[in-house]
Amino acid sequence: MNAIILSAVLGVVMMFSSVLVSNQKAYKGIALVGLLIILIANINETYNGPIFEINTYNMLAFDGFSLFFNTIAIVCTGVYFILTSKQIEKVGGHTAEYFTLIFFVLCGATILSAYNNLLMLFIGIEILTIPLYILTGSKKKDLKSNEAALKYFLMGSFSTGLMLMGIALIYGGTGTFALEKIIPAAASAQGAPAVTAQTLSFLEVGGMLLVTFSLAFKVSAAPFHFWLPDVYYGAPSVFTSFMASVVKAAAFVAFLKLFIARAAGTSVDVSKIIGVDWKMIVAILIICTLLVGNISAVRQQNVKRMLAYSSIAQAGFMLFAIFSLNEMAKEGILLYAVAYSLATIGIFAILSRMKDYTFAGYNGLAKSNPALAFANTVFLLSLAGIPLTAGFFAKYYMLASVMQTGHYMWLVIVGVLFAAVSADYYFRVIQSMYFKNSESENEGQLEENPSNIFKITVVALAIVIILVGVFPNSVLYWLYN
Amino acid sequence: MSATEIIFWILSVLALVSGLMVIFSKNPVYSVLWLISLFFAISGHYILMNAQFLAIVNIIVYAGAIMVLFLFVIMLMNLSATAEPKKKVWMKFTGVISGGLLLWILLSVVRSSIDMRGKIAEVKTGDIGLVENLGKVLFTEYAVPFEICSVLFLSAMVGAVVIGKKEE
Amino acid sequence: MPIQYYIGLAIALFCIGVVGVLIRRNAIIVFMCIEIMLNAANLLLVAFSKMHAALHPTVANAGIDGQLFVFFIMVVAAAEISVGLAIIVMVYRNVHSIDVNFLNRLKN
Repeated sequence: MNAIILSAVLGVVMMFSSVLVSNQKAYKGIALVGLLIILIANINETYNGPIFEINTYNMLAFDGFSLFFNTIAIVCTGVYFILTSKQIEKVGGHTAEYFTLIFFVLCGATILSAYNNLLMLFIGIEILTIPLYILTGSKKKDLKSNEAALKYFLMGSFSTGLMLMGIALIYGGTGTFALEKIIPAAASAQGAPAVTAQTLSFLEVGGMLLVTFSLAFKVSAAPFHFWLPDVYYGAPSVFTSFMASVVKAAAFVAFLKLFIARAAGTSVDVSKIIGVDWKMIVAILIICTLLVGNISAVRQQNVKRMLAYSSIAQAGFMLFAIFSLNEMAKEGILLYAVAYSLATIGIFAILSRMKDYTFAGYNGLAKSNPALAFANTVFLLSLAGIPLTAGFFAKYYMLASVMQTGHYMWLVIVGVLFAAVSADYYFRVIQSMYFKNSESENEGQLEENPSNIFKITVVALAIVIILVGVFPNSVLYWLYN
Repeated sequence: MSATEIIFWILSVLALVSGLMVIFSKNPVYSVLWLISLFFAISGHYILMNAQFLAIVNIIVYAGAIMVLFLFVIMLMNLSATAEPKKKVWMKFTGVISGGLLLWILLSVVRSSIDMRGKIAEVKTGDIGLVENLGKVLFTEYAVPFEICSVLFLSAMVGAVVIGKKEE
Repeated sequence: MPIQYYIGLAIALFCIGVVGVLIRRNAIIVFMCIEIMLNAANLLLVAFSKMHAALHPTVANAGIDGQLFVFFIMVVAAAEISVGLAIIVMVYRNVHSIDVNFLNRLKN
């Protein structure tokens, strides 16, 4: 609760600071101090309970999982601010407003990690995406950015429409919006309908299907991925970085919570009769997503576009958690959120400083900027899932969670195969950096020489990723304590 | 056939015809007008089900504010019927076919769903749709989502200003 | 009224919206079709709320949450529309067209 309230308040503070503070540099400081406050408040809530005692009538439920995810999201946002705030200032004349919108997105992410009611799912998704439409279109004169915003907006509201229809059908079938069907004692004392009928409901299954499709849109699982490459490519690189990291992880947490509560528990007996096998649907989504993401990423010549497709491929791996739905999947999605978000933020922080976004633009980076090239290599290796990086354990936990369910060995094999394919396009970037020489030797690959602070933070981030890769339990330790 | 049923069918036919006209009108202004008629038909349904508050809000917010905004934007852009490039015929065809398939699947789900058989939606009675009851529940049980919606509005407001403001 | 009639009507409206999204290229019309989809969901929610009220006549306020959900949908839709129209106007200012695939068209 602390994180939700404070991130909303911080958004308002940033909004007013655009009027009261004229120094562009000050915004970053305000935002970072604000994030620190949110982080402390959230950690405090984890151990001592919330500061504000608010009766949410079971709309929101804060457990260790959601609070820990909030911590991850806040820390990742902090890293994102430290690395890229300079780039945010360059996008347009509304720096403080961009920070405002990012805080609101963070608020949406914290709602999604804690929702316990389909209404909160809906509102959370909207708070998460509406600021993103704006951020996507924030380069107002750039036609690509315009097209990306328009596409993202139309696709996003279309999938919202699907979700609402699904929620309406679920409501018809069960009579409640709560995630678990048992109406809690407090609510029934208030006179809420005590609908606990466990009748078979075709409507509920149909509704769950529509909500699943809509969430698949949001997390860009194939065949609902087609908006993503254009949007990620067209949006300003700084905001693509945020969309591909924190936002995506939040959408996956929402997806996982919904499936753990609904599809697994209540619809299993129903689905046998109707013939809807949730595991099979998710398996099809996984295979399509891995296939489309990896195959298209291999063919790209532009690193930003490659990263967009590779983010589809990574979504395929995160879907394994929604397939297996056990404790290990929960741990895995948190690890994945850490590994994937940090690596993506790092890569985009370097990418957004490049002159040329093609593979050739990276040629010879290792010579001119060995520190950045090293960090970039670590990030790419982590995304590819090479051992000793955080990405390896993230992928390992995902596959192991599927192994735990018992029967689906073939899916694990498919996952491993595609992980191998993904190494191809990540290694091409490393190859350009280390083994190819830049044609314009004296100009350099970066727009301007990065400051030493930037170099140090990027390398520090790379070291953190390696440390998490060596001791993954250091992250998970906090989940249980 | 009772009066209620007659009203139900009239409103339903009006809603469906308006909906079809929205997507098949050449001129965007006509589309907006048909959409307003669709909203009035749906508001009629709400009144039939005694959801008075929603009926009024639907007319004020949707048919009033939102559609005026739409009309305003269309007038601003001065869109004429010829402005829209034609989609290829086979694209339209596949669009209609896939929409029809969706309709067929969903309708067959409804027809085969046993648990909906014999259930009725109350019409003309019931007091849950009155402002008093809705308000009481909204500001007790639903107070948290209500407050959180303000974040949504703030971000929409900030966003509209950021996007709409002319760059210096 | 039997609930099936309302479900049928809402689903038909929903599919009209989906077809409109698929076959039109004018961004504003596509947007209006999305509004039709939202309204179909609203109608269905109200119908279900009255159904649950009829099923549980003894419980006070049975089914009221369906109508409140509709209220929230309207709130969110209003916010979404303000953002959406701002984006559409921005696009129109730059390219003088609100074709959904305007970049593809510019290339040709």
